[in-house]
Amino acid sequence: MKRFSQLAVPYIVWTVIMLLLPMLLIVLYAFTDTGNEIMTFRFTLANFAKFFTDPDFLLVLWRSIKIALKTTVICVLIGYPIAYFIAFSSDKVRDMLILAITLPTWINMLVRTYAWIGLLSDGGIFQSLLGIFGLGDTELLYTEGAVLIGMVYNFIPFMILQINTSLSKMDRSLTDASHDLGADGIQTFLRVTLPLSLPGVVSGISLVFLPAVSSFSIPKLLGGGQFFLIGNVIENQFITVGEWNFGSSISLIMALIMMGTMYLIRRLDAYSSGRGKERELT
Amino acid sequence: MKKLAIVASAVLLCAAVSGCGGKNEGEYAGQTLHIYNWGEYTGENLISDFEELTGCDVVMDNFESNEQMYIRVESGDTYDILVPSDYMIERLLSEDLLQPLDKEKLDCFDKLDPDVLGLPYDPDNDYSVPYFWGTVGIVYDKNKVDVADLEKEGFGIFADEKYKGDIYLYDSERDSFMMALKYLGYSMNTDDEAELNEAYEWLINIVETMEPEIVTDEIIDNMAQGRKALGLIYSGDAAYVISENPDMGFYLPETGTNIWSDAMVIPKNAENPELAHEFINYVSSYEGALDNSVTVGYTSPNMEVMEYLSGEDGDYYGIDAYIPRSGNPNDEVFSYDADTRLIISDLWSRVKIAASNAG
Repeated sequence: MKRFSQLAVPYIVWTVIMLLLPMLLIVLYAFTDTGNEIMTFRFTLANFAKFFTDPDFLLVLWRSIKIALKTTVICVLIGYPIAYFIAFSSDKVRDMLILAITLPTWINMLVRTYAWIGLLSDGGIFQSLLGIFGLGDTELLYTEGAVLIGMVYNFIPFMILQINTSLSKMDRSLTDASHDLGADGIQTFLRVTLPLSLPGVVSGISLVFLPAVSSFSIPKLLGGGQFFLIGNVIENQFITVGEWNFGSSISLIMALIMMGTMYLIRRLDAYSSGRGKERELT
Repeated sequence: MKKLAIVASAVLLCAAVSGCGGKNEGEYAGQTLHIYNWGEYTGENLISDFEELTGCDVVMDNFESNEQMYIRVESGDTYDILVPSDYMIERLLSEDLLQPLDKEKLDCFDKLDPDVLGLPYDPDNDYSVPYFWGTVGIVYDKNKVDVADLEKEGFGIFADEKYKGDIYLYDSERDSFMMALKYLGYSMNTDDEAELNEAYEWLINIVETMEPEIVTDEIIDNMAQGRKALGLIYSGDAAYVISENPDMGFYLPETGTNIWSDAMVIPKNAENPELAHEFINYVSSYEGALDNSVTVGYTSPNMEVMEYLSGEDGDYYGIDAYIPRSGNPNDEVFSYDADTRLIISDLWSRVKIAASNAG
């Protein structure tokens, strides 16, 4: 046994260096104020005060959360029917469709987002299509809509795959039973299928909401320089302003918000899967 | 243009890895030159020609802003050549990150325009050799913008409601503040907080009332296609835009602008300064400078190239944006001041946040 446990040492070292240490550095930077020197730090809460006393920063945070929520809702609304369709197709079709959903995620996210710039830009395909309906002057790129499209496009595979997994695991005899007991299609869906797939929806939500709320490349590319979300504020503090301490404190605030969200989602998950199991038994 | 920069650097990287693997000729065979340069900032064949000439391999990374470059260099990444702008060279010098050039090894100074030599950031060119230079001005659509407005308002035209929703700002803290300070009649190198705040209020007013799009290199293609009426632009980009679309014009406000230059420097921790000097000579030579200036559209410091390209047979004949203005006493060169930079940086990020919250 002892010999095997030694095998874990490289992983532990790796985790400490690549995950724990950077986290600790963020915390250290967040609470200090003397430039980038680690050896001569001085503790302060000024970075947090700066963030929470400035309505502009809070407004950016609120807008980031709002757009992440919109992304998540759209992903559920579009993703669920797709996942449902995939889960209830024949094996061959299902494999093909899963491949079609996963394939784009093999391409780098930035490259795919750049493709959207071309599609949405003035004179691009989408504007030409709108032109058919006499709406050719509608600006698509550098709007909130463009950012939403980019986010939904990038994150929806996670939602579809999660929901699909929980739908595929479902015991099909349950729907048969439901029909035998006289429920129609809609009743079966609402009272059997949907509750059983909720754990998938919940983990899909966390896989979409968390990256969406901290995303900075998508708003930068599709929203333009005047579309600033909290991720852009953090990036800007590190890359341009050079205020690593303030940047770290916003990162820390974001990390706490995300951990809070994760906790809520876990609770929701436990609740929904608990209810699912109950139904499975009764 | 960023996407092109990424593609270009990927291509260059592949070329560097695959193309030169087999070559063993030339004085510097087997050596590697690491360059950190702006995206879309080298001539089509510059790198491959240089590789052929010397036998070395070139690896070039691209940056989008001086600040981005600074952070990587400051944190210890090693390069043999950097191409920062004037004020950033001053900053790198003040932080002792550059090494002096060995002038014995350089044969380029007599070819370069004296106007772009001996600038305040490096008075004797002990550390830097100019790469490109130019001004910052207003690119405008002659069909949509009345030149009389430009002459009357200068940079103030960006606050003129007549052009609401039809303007581009450039996402660069120093150029935006340059524009604001020059419009208000101050020095762009001011460290007076009241003046900086006035400039900040002026910019805030623009982003809150004028619905500008804040872009970087996207402005080049977009103005070449005439998508908006006005934009703040580097002279070299304007020269390119005008050469693509004759409806476009370039205007330099009388209240003054920034005479900028980007120059090649060798960082202190360079691994191959010898080869770096060789590169500086090649870029400054007629061939190298011509390739650079034809492809990129920025003004070459090589006098012969500048004369040829703005002459009758040149690509930029009749395009006044190509030749930087001289003789306006309001024009200035940027200087670096750490405290002011921090203030401007912070204010500019607030301008962008305000723009975002207003939209």
